[in-house]
Amino acid sequence: MKVLLVEDNERVTRFVVKGLQEAGHTADHADNGRDGMFLAASERYDVIVMDRMLPGEIDGLAIIEALRQHGNRTPILILSALSDVDERIRGLKSGGDDYLTKPFAFGELLARLDALCRRGQGSAAQTNLKVGDLHMDLLSRKAARGNRAIALQPQEFKLLEYLMRHAGQVVTRTMLLENVWDYHFDPQTNVVDVHISKLRQKIESESERPLLRTVRNAGYMLTADE
Amino acid sequence: MSRLVRSSAFTLAFSYVAFGFAALILFAAPLWYAWQVTITESRTELLRVDTQRLSEVFAREGAAGLEAFITTRVGMQIPGERILLLTDPSLHRLAGNLPEWPRVIPGQPGTYTLPVNLEGRHTKAMFVHTVLPGGYNLLVGRDQTLFAPLTTRFWYGLSAAVAVLSIAGLLGGLMIRRALLLRVDNIRQTVQAIVQGDWSHRLPTKPSSDELDTLSRTINGMLDQIEQLLHGVRDVSNAIAHDLRTPLAELRSRLEELSLTRPEREETFAEIDAAVVDVDRVIRIFNALLRLAEIDTGMRRSGFVAIDAAEIAKQAVDFYLPAAELKGISLSYRGAPAGMSGDPLLLAQAIGNLIDNALKYTRDDGRVEVEVQTLPDRRVRITVADNGPGIPDSEKPKVPTRFYRGDTSRGTPGVGLGLSLVASVAKVHGGALELTDNHPGLRAHMLIAPGALRTSGPGEGQHEAAAPPRSTQLSPESVEAG
Repeated sequence: MKVLLVEDNERVTRFVVKGLQEAGHTADHADNGRDGMFLAASERYDVIVMDRMLPGEIDGLAIIEALRQHGNRTPILILSALSDVDERIRGLKSGGDDYLTKPFAFGELLARLDALCRRGQGSAAQTNLKVGDLHMDLLSRKAARGNRAIALQPQEFKLLEYLMRHAGQVVTRTMLLENVWDYHFDPQTNVVDVHISKLRQKIESESERPLLRTVRNAGYMLTADE
Repeated sequence: MSRLVRSSAFTLAFSYVAFGFAALILFAAPLWYAWQVTITESRTELLRVDTQRLSEVFAREGAAGLEAFITTRVGMQIPGERILLLTDPSLHRLAGNLPEWPRVIPGQPGTYTLPVNLEGRHTKAMFVHTVLPGGYNLLVGRDQTLFAPLTTRFWYGLSAAVAVLSIAGLLGGLMIRRALLLRVDNIRQTVQAIVQGDWSHRLPTKPSSDELDTLSRTINGMLDQIEQLLHGVRDVSNAIAHDLRTPLAELRSRLEELSLTRPEREETFAEIDAAVVDVDRVIRIFNALLRLAEIDTGMRRSGFVAIDAAEIAKQAVDFYLPAAELKGISLSYRGAPAGMSGDPLLLAQAIGNLIDNALKYTRDDGRVEVEVQTLPDRRVRITVADNGPGIPDSEKPKVPTRFYRGDTSRGTPGVGLGLSLVASVAKVHGGALELTDNHPGLRAHMLIAPGALRTSGPGEGQHEAAAPPRSTQLSPESVEAG
């Protein structure tokens, strides 16, 4: 994917740009609001990473508002040192699609960019999800692996649905917390891991091929690929 | 003197006296006017009646008859009762007690009040001038000096009132000033002592609950809050010194050692990974502190909506259930819908922290129970009870303070901010965290005021109560919006 990074901290910029390139993506970079605005308006990007506080007269939120007013629908992830819930809400209201607080792990950023980038592709009206021989009917709320029906609790169903919608992508623990449980805070312990291992037991019996992988330093990925 | 003039009590007394003067003047002026009008009219009327009578004498007996009548009348009356003068058409005196026609009176008939010279004495008099048939001029008048004592007495009375008012007002003002300054001075001295760092002082209050007492009580409340915050800051700096320095020290020594020893590639990467974990621990503590600060400033009150505490608690129990099962702990929930006004995110985090804590400190195969109740006084009580080791009574008040960790909890994961977050969330919802004994174990109660839910509109409250429990399944749209 082609990413625009608007960020004034040199160190963070180098870290992100290098990471993106290593993951096989291309990244443009602007270190102030004016250049960022110009690049965002003139080039086509798959996703934009926008720092909230930028040098110069234009700040991140103002750029996002301006882009949205001109009909630019490129997904935008806001990077900010402000972690307050109210600040987060302000960021999303201005037209941002996701909000990540600094300091962050690169794995978290990459996973979120990936999710933002592919969000437009899957249709929300889809009623059947399929990953390998695992399939899910959203209308009858049933899941099965081949012919084996899988009994799921409502929360497990929701968790699996989110993983299947993001099949082939890395999904972080924070993303699961925010999107499956709507919890925008740190629950201190590894509860998400426990949920995942419980789900894993249900969808992968001993004779079946593993589908749900743990990605080191990042999170999880549901995939049928080898 | 300048201090006296500047003091608010003096200003108050002065204004009071000035106001009294204004009231007196506003009262006396119409009275004076009414009195003047009435008196003048009745006097004029008397003079007219006299003139009428004299005119009748003139009509009956002619000029000579009137001349005789006037002469007789002047001779009989008490001096100065009436001023009478009859002249021929060329203003030559025929009869009366005036030596000649007063020059100040014009030729036309009418009523005049004019200064005249009466037998060598300058005075003011009222005259009615009539022209009788044949051009004779008749002047009937009265000396106003006769009424002077009445006027004088009126002014004396008014002056006495003014004097009494001034003295009483000033005395009252001085007394108010004395009483007020004494109490203000007390407040000032107390506040000064506190400013100098002695936080044991509080403003004196009386049970009378007048304005100054109410003010004193409010200030005392403010001082309590400030003192508490001050202690909080002190505790936090101590705790930061300990709990935040430890991982930082570890991190520093790890990196320094790495830089000095330059170990093998594999080992270097392992050390770097460990350093990142150290940093993450510090970040976690920072985030928890910032979150607490965010809650404590009370800004999140703007995020209050109508919520069902039971639904949030049930969802939190569902969230922690697999973790409990893994440890072999039975985690159960019971409760009835409890509508209230609050921040669902904060409440979820607080309940989550309580469950997390209970799971952490309860033995494997233990029991954790979550309960939501609406008390008869409409407060909502969220209880998380476990049968773990509990907390000794002596430690219970310390637990919700920042970074406090009981000796039993050393070595377990966590940063010691969990329960202080619960306490802060309860406080922001107008409630409190209470810890009691579960014989054995701990019962943690969050008591929460129902808030503005009922007053926000009767329709809303009823709707909330009548609606079926919200599904724990959130639609994809609401997830996106969140």
